Amino acid sequence: MEEKHLTERESIELIAAMIQRTKGRLCLGDGNIMLLWGYLTVTVSLLVGGLLVWTGHPAVNWLWFLIMIVGGTLTPHLARKKAVDAGVKSYADTISSGIWQAVGYSSLACIAVCLGMMLLAGKDCWSIMFVFALLLVGFAELVQGVVVKEVSLVAGGAVGMLAGVVTLACVAARVALSAGWFLPMFIAAFVAMMIVPGHVLNHRARPCR
Amino acid sequence: MKELDPLLHSQLRLAVMSILMTVDEADFVYLKQQTAATAGNLSVQLDKLTAAGYIEVEKCFVGKKTRSVCRVTPEGCRAFEAYVEALRTYLHL
Repeated sequence: MEEKHLTERESIELIAAMIQRTKGRLCLGDGNIMLLWGYLTVTVSLLVGGLLVWTGHPAVNWLWFLIMIVGGTLTPHLARKKAVDAGVKSYADTISSGIWQAVGYSSLACIAVCLGMMLLAGKDCWSIMFVFALLLVGFAELVQGVVVKEVSLVAGGAVGMLAGVVTLACVAARVALSAGWFLPMFIAAFVAMMIVPGHVLNHRARPCR
Repeated sequence: MKELDPLLHSQLRLAVMSILMTVDEADFVYLKQQTAATAGNLSVQLDKLTAAGYIEVEKCFVGKKTRSVCRVTPEGCRAFEAYVEALRTYLHL
């Protein structure tokens, strides 16, 4: 593009062309971060479930923290790489990023409350982490899906929220979240929430690179 | 009739502003690809827009390379809107 004087008509056409080109280039973003959290959650769930069946020791439940440690460490790197690769940040990206940051900080607050309840009051309320993981993550994903107009995110988020409501009802009604039925539901919800939309996003993003 | 802002009434600067008005931020490489401008020319025009306060450029390091991220400022946003309004008057839109 050279420096040249424009007529008024050419100016309007240039503005329209640039807006159109930018719109066309915007991708939904690759789904690697969702795949990371999805596969990580499923793997840790299977690991904890397997070890619980095998050993029956409740200390195995501390392995759930692997999800936060590994996911929380790798996500900033993946997010930075995605931003550099894309070269552009849309308003939808900013909203999505804000939503997931809020979920991240809320999960830390939730962990702190559960730890506090355990250490200070001797009460076990870790089951609310399952409610949190399904309900809040599902809601965040649903909102993100609405913002970027992606059906797989909306559907995945709705499945997660539904599983979260079931879990919340069970916790409120003091129904045990036994590994026999709860873990398969938890895993299925994360497949629907993270793994399926992650692959869909990666598939859609490919032509944009 | 309103006068067209001479700073925006130039092909490359207008293209850059049009892109930055539709996104939150864009880096130098992206702007170069979208405008098909040379690095030198784009750099000069970005400096002019920065000096006018229409955009802000943040430089950061990605590995060993520098990355310049550009954003439109509220002043640039107002100037662009005024420019488009003036164009509409000229073209009777």
